[in-house]
Amino acid sequence: MKELTANPMFPIALSLCVYEGFRILQRKTKISALNPLLLSIAFIILFLNIFSIPLEDYNSGGAVISMFLAPATASLALSIYREFDLLKKHWVPILVSCFVGSVTSMLSVCVLCRLFGFNEHLTASLIPKSVTTPIAIEVSSQLSGIPSITVAAVVITGILGAVISPVLIKIFKVNDPAAAGVSIGTCSHAVGTSKAVELGEIEGAMSGISIGISGIITVILALILF
Amino acid sequence: MRHLLQMSFLFFVCLAGEGLAKLLPFAFPGSIMSMFLLLLLLLSKIVKEHQIQDICDFLLHHMAFFFLPAGIGIMEKYQLLQGRIIPFLLICLLTTVFTFFTTSLSMKLIFALQKKGNDNERTDC
Repeated sequence: MKELTANPMFPIALSLCVYEGFRILQRKTKISALNPLLLSIAFIILFLNIFSIPLEDYNSGGAVISMFLAPATASLALSIYREFDLLKKHWVPILVSCFVGSVTSMLSVCVLCRLFGFNEHLTASLIPKSVTTPIAIEVSSQLSGIPSITVAAVVITGILGAVISPVLIKIFKVNDPAAAGVSIGTCSHAVGTSKAVELGEIEGAMSGISIGISGIITVILALILF
Repeated sequence: MRHLLQMSFLFFVCLAGEGLAKLLPFAFPGSIMSMFLLLLLLLSKIVKEHQIQDICDFLLHHMAFFFLPAGIGIMEKYQLLQGRIIPFLLICLLTTVFTFFTTSLSMKLIFALQKKGNDNERTDC
């Protein structure tokens, strides 16, 4: 049995089955809170714990799945290309809003961390939590944060963004798809963008471009502000 | 065959993106660099949409799935946050809501301003 679960095909098959199962569940129930990514993560963590399968065994196949993140992110270029006229038309609001969002994210982390009595290393680890992982790790270590906590914060933020963004769009009455896309990409990077892509092509394209813009803005702000 | 060709091309773009990102004086993700590179190739018409659309649309459609291992990796980091897990989650949630709110508000305000500007221009004429 141990040899079977250590085979890289096991985690891949498990991930595909679980994810597809929850995707069908969401499609049938039409409840956006039943996010397939979130539920699959919870289910597989539980599964690995119950059958005491080490994370290394999961990662043997997990690494294969993660490898597709790079070409999937690059594919956003096609969405952006299809909506390029919109991007050209709205470049001023997009640039300004990415800046406003990045500043809000970094400052609100600082204020809340102080409120909860987090020390400066923990605070520094959380400051870049709204940008995509490689940028966040770099900014975090530059501010003397703890990279592995940063990774956790980035992933949790992304998943939260993917789950709650359809609700936030309704609450804050964001009727314009471009505005919704930029907001999703700025607050929850690529994981949020995976949800934006499901909402529509304009949302996906605007969210994709915002990951890049707010990432660059966050790097520059971290150099200036801290 | 068509799909394999598209996939190999996309992987080449990604490798080129990783290489270009390494050349920058600051850390920049290779995947985002590949995104800009592919956009440039599309805009300059060196690559046509139909030459990559099957594989790109497939990956975009299933993008969330590829984040699954990253999410499961969090289980290892649980101990790092002993006793702080609730404030940690709360900070992640609240700042995400704040950021979404200010970003969308900024978009809406600028759209409204631009619209007003356009209307004024029209009345001026």
